[in-house]
This record gives sequence, C-alpha cells and structure tokens, in this order.
Amino acid sequence: MMQATLIAPLRRLAWPALSTRQRAGALLLALLLAFAWLVPLWHDADPARQQLVRILELPTLAAPLGTDHLGRDMLARTAAALRLSLGMALLSVVTAAVPGILFGVIAGWRGGWLDRILGSVADACLALPGLLLVLLLVAIAPGNFWALYVGISLVLWIEYFRVVRARTRVLVASPQLEASRLLGFGPLYLFRRHLWPELAPQVLTLAAFGAASAILAMAALGFVSVGLRPPTAELGLMMIELLPYYHEAPWAMAQPILALFVLVFSLNLLAGKDPR
Amino acid sequence: MSHPLLQVSDLTIHGDGVTIAPFSLSLASGQRLTLLGETGSGKSLIAQAIMGTLPQGLTPAGELGIDGTSYAAADVAARRTLWGRRLALLPQEPWHALDPTMRAAAQITESHRHVAGLAPGKARQATQHDLAELGLEDAGGKLPGELSGGMAQRVAFAAASAGGAPIVIADEPTKGLDAPRRDAVVELLARTPQAGGALLTITHDIDVARRLGGEVVILRHGQVVERGPAERILEAPQTEYGRHLLDAEPSRWPAPPRLASAPDATPVVAARGLAKSRGGRQLFSGLDVSVLPGEIVGVVGPSGCGKSTLGDMLLGLASHDAGEIQHAPGHRLGLQKLYQDPPAAFSSHWRLSRLLDDLVQRHRLERAAIVPLMERLGLDERLLARRPGEISGGELQRFAILRVLLLEPRLLFADEPTSRLDPITQQQTLSLLVELARERRCGVMLVSHDPALIARLCDRQLALEENAEAASRPSAKAEPVSLA
Repeated sequence: MMQATLIAPLRRLAWPALSTRQRAGALLLALLLAFAWLVPLWHDADPARQQLVRILELPTLAAPLGTDHLGRDMLARTAAALRLSLGMALLSVVTAAVPGILFGVIAGWRGGWLDRILGSVADACLALPGLLLVLLLVAIAPGNFWALYVGISLVLWIEYFRVVRARTRVLVASPQLEASRLLGFGPLYLFRRHLWPELAPQVLTLAAFGAASAILAMAALGFVSVGLRPPTAELGLMMIELLPYYHEAPWAMAQPILALFVLVFSLNLLAGKDPR
Repeated sequence: MSHPLLQVSDLTIHGDGVTIAPFSLSLASGQRLTLLGETGSGKSLIAQAIMGTLPQGLTPAGELGIDGTSYAAADVAARRTLWGRRLALLPQEPWHALDPTMRAAAQITESHRHVAGLAPGKARQATQHDLAELGLEDAGGKLPGELSGGMAQRVAFAAASAGGAPIVIADEPTKGLDAPRRDAVVELLARTPQAGGALLTITHDIDVARRLGGEVVILRHGQVVERGPAERILEAPQTEYGRHLLDAEPSRWPAPPRLASAPDATPVVAARGLAKSRGGRQLFSGLDVSVLPGEIVGVVGPSGCGKSTLGDMLLGLASHDAGEIQHAPGHRLGLQKLYQDPPAAFSSHWRLSRLLDDLVQRHRLERAAIVPLMERLGLDERLLARRPGEISGGELQRFAILRVLLLEPRLLFADEPTSRLDPITQQQTLSLLVELARERRCGVMLVSHDPALIARLCDRQLALEENAEAASRPSAKAEPVSLA
C-alpha cells in the first residue's frame, strides 16, 4: 500500500490541469473579481451620485481614482461596471453553455433526424450575423439588460453545440462507451465518466473565450449608445461619456479602457489554446 | 571475405530512464539478424540509434561502420545522406508511413526519381517492375486507405527499397497482420539478403524470427540475454528467460483443462441462418453458431470478414439481416465483450478503484468476491490506485476480465484480446481466461489471427471466409479443431 499512498495525492484534483498561461489568467481574473466585489465594502460612495462642484478631479483621499464629468466617484463606478460585466459574462456563458452542451450531446448521441434538425437550427442561427441579432433585440426592448444577454447567448451557444457534438459522436462509437454499456451503466453514468472528462477542457476554453466576447459585445453596444442607458456604470458607456474630456482628464477615460483590457486579457489567457 | 556491410560496436543509449547496455553486431552481405524481445526491451531503440532517428532526450554513443566508412553513433547529421541509399527503414504499421493523399505508384516513383535519381520515364518503368514483382499490378492507382494491410506493407517496402539500399532495417514488420500476410511479409524481407544485402529485423514474434533464420539476439531491459544462430537459440535456449520466452509460443502452451460438460447441455447462445451485409457486400449468410457453457470457440478469418460484426450481433449490439439468435435465459448482463486495445475500452480519467466501485454500486455486487478473483488474475491491489494509462496493457486486460467476470457472464466475446500484448503476457492472460471460463461455465468466443493459438486453446473453431457469395452453401462452418 506504500506506493499507492505515494501516487494518489498527486492526482487528486479532478479539475483539468492548467498551463502556466492559464494559471496567470486565473490569477488576474481573481484579482479583478476581488477588486470589483471588495471595493464597495470599504469605499461606500454611490456610483450614481453626482457632485457637480467636484467634476474631473484628480485622485484624492475621498475619491481614490478621481471623479468624472458629473462629479461621480470613479473608483465606485469602475468597480460597479466590472461587476456588471462579469455578472453578464457569467450569465451569458451559462445560458450559452448549458443548451449548447445539452443539444450537442443529444445530437451526437442520437444522430439521425434529431441531429439533422438541431444542426439545421444551429446553421440558421449562424446565418444571422451575431451583432445584427443583438441590435434587433435591443431595438425591440431598448436599454434592457435581459434583451442584451438573451441576444448574446443566442449567438454563443452554437460554438458549444458544434464542439460537443463532434466529440460526442466519436466517443459514442468508441469501445469505452460500449464496454460500460455492456456492463449495465445508464446514460447519466456514461456522461459523467466518459463524456464529461473529455469535453470539460474544451468547454472551459470556449467558456473563457465566450465570456471575453460577451463582455466586448456589451461594451461595444454601450460605446455606440444602443446598450444600457445612463446612469448605469458600464464600461463601454463610461468610455463614450468620458471621451469629450480626454484632454482635461485622461486618467478618468483610461480607467474603463484599462479595466476592459485587463478583463478580456485575463479571460483569453485562461482560455489557453483554441480547441477549434 | 568482404568487409561487413553494417558494423555496430559498443552502441549504448542513455537518457530518460532508458539504458541500453553496450551492443555490437556485424552483418555481412547476405546475412540477417533478428532482435527479439518484449515491449520495453529496447529493441526498437537500437534500430533508431542505427538510423539516427532516436527521440529527443536519448543520446547514443559508440561506433557504427556502414559500408566500410565509420561514423560516431551520436553524429546523426552525417548519416542522413545514407537514408534510402545505403540504409532503409521499413516502418511498423506502414499505412501510417505512406502519404494518404498520394496513389501507391506515385509514392514508389517518387523514391526512384528523387532518391535513386532516375529520369522520370525510367522511374515509372522501375515502379511498374516493382509492382509486378510484388504482385501489386492492380494496386498502383489506389490510395493507401484503399489498400489492405499486407498490400500497404508491400508498397512501403517498394518505396523504402527503391533507392537500392543494401541495409534494410524492419521495425516490427508484421505487427497487426494476420497469419497469411505475415508469411508474405517474411518472404518479402528475405529478398534483401538473397540479393546480397543485410537485413536487421526487430520483432516480438518468435515465428517470424524462426522463418527469417540467421542470427537471433534476445533482448531484455536493454541487455542482451542470449545470442546465436536461430536454429540453436529458438530450439534450445540456454538461459531461463530465453526458455520462458519460447514457452510463450502458442504451440508450446500447456493444453487447457478439458471441457467437462455433457454435449446435450443448453447452449448459451445458438444462432441459425445468420446473414449480414455491410456497405452492399455480403459478409456472411446461412451461418450457424452455438456456444456451450464453458466452451471456448475460436473465430478465425481474414481481416474485414465480419468477425467483430458477428460478435456484436450475438451480443445484441448490432442487427442481423436474417436468421435467429437464441440466448440462454438469464439476466441481460450475461453478454460481455473483451476488446483488442485495452486502454481504448476504459475512460483514462478515473482510477481503477473508482471504476470498480461504480460497478459494485451499480449492481450491488458482493465485495467479498473481488479480492480472491483479483488474486487469481494476479492483480496487485496497488494497481487500483492507478489510472488505465498508468498500468501495462496486460494488467489492464486482466482488470477488464475482472470487471466482466464479476457480472457472472454466460457468453464472453473476446475480440483479439491479446493481439497487442507481448507473447509472455499473452500466454498468461489467455490461459487465465480459459481456466476461469471453464470454472464459471462461461462460453467464450475467441477471435484471433494466430491459427496456432486457436488450435491450442479452443474446443471448436468457426472459420469465416472472405466474400461468401453463394447463399446456398454454408460459407462458414464450425468444426472441431484438429490438434496438430
């Protein structure tokens, strides 16, 4: 038993082994998360409160990252915008990944007409340009957070579907699945023990890339003023609001840009190599 | 006496936990030498060191003499110009060595043109000559994917030897080939020494070594265990390991326990008039199969004749076009299968203990039954802490047998369960399987390419033929094995 106890602890983690790049991304993302959620605990400024006597101020003790053109606290606003972006990214990843994986496994497993129907639906969704679909939904329900996120996840699920379906097709025909089926195991077991360990690394990569593109899409919509409405603190919206003041207060405009850059960068690092 | 074509003096290989002890050989024109050993004995590394294609992290040392010129073993670049012209390598699994997008004739012509330096017209003529000589007249226009294993092997041989290299190194040339094709490859290899070249063959197949003749070297853990002329080494080995290795040859296996069952026992599976076609081709028709409890039925036939499909039909995994299959009454888990490639039959992500626990929980099995069975199978409890990729193929196949036997199967379809294992491991695994099947009265259908193995182990054999056309004539019949 000596040897068994020596080997076992090294491989206890079920989480896919991350590369150095991915670990750096995860660390950066953890720091951003900590920043976004810890700031309100010790800095209780309201991100929407205007103080018109204190506009475009340099960082002070009261406002550690300065104030914007309406005297709102930049630290509170950046943290709030990051919370919004991260929450939105998580939500769109989950809503895209869950149906994507579910339909992908069903299509790959069953094959036949079900596979053809689901494949056609995915192709039809792809035929619409993604941003156009989002703009359409935003036009139907302007300024609505939910419309934005439904639009973004409608575009994103197809990637999960395709990757999962292709891998599942190969695995379903493999001896390992057949062996387990002959041993009397049901579909849930087959998914948990055979499919998921193979799919997880690819889904993780897609999720990180998907989160990055969802954040970018939301910021882009905010920047062209079709996304969320003021006074919401949102990265793209903050950029366009502060654009006229870039000369007087470059530090203010740099903040949402830097926050967006670091956020997307950390997610791309976490994604690792592109599985496609 | 001419100088040797290939001379290797004190070749050693170090690195990555591999050590090959000083190895020397000398091959003159017309001579042949065979390196025999199990997986991990370092036999392929010696071939790679001579060619200069060792993987990263391994460094060779020693002297090589090729055609009277001497080279340092570590100087790989100098030997590169010899490839194809003086030194040719016949790779294992040649279908991986051929370009899948290029037709067979074009690949051979390419060698004639660019390695041998012939003019285009001459190169085409030489290719036609090669193809005709190897019996491949019709195969020139085919892509590697359309060739059978034996044909691909011959095309690869023609392409590798087009440069006229007198020294041919064949690395496991018969791996994955069935018996008739194996013999054809051996004949093909024997041409080189007949034409005045030198042949170095690496194999784990004792039969191949015997047919090739010449000098035989038995390797184990990078050490030469025994060397000498094939007739002496392969008939009367001096060392214990040598005897052990030779005893693993199917024709020398101890006979399995006799089938002690009344001939009128209910068969575990009985099928009548089975027919199946695939891709518009009739695989078989009018096929009758029956397996008694505890009986070992061998299934033989050329590649692609539907042996695995027959198994899937009997296990209920595939449909049949005509005929009927009757199973003995019992639970549905009584039909089980063993796979050719053990790691492919397991998910590589979980520890074996986890997989075993899953099975026990799923079917509420008696845990008490596991330990004695593991002992019978020679499985150490420590292995359970590992994952499928971390133990040897033989151990994994025995673990597969353990899992299957815990379910008390009535019929076990073993699809070439040991074709990827070394001879010694193969013998251990199969004799255990037969013994346990007899004990537990489980009918076994054993697929194999090796006629000697079937003759030794099986009570009856079912011979499937290729392309059975006549529906009236039974294309396959089960008959008692004639013990040679």
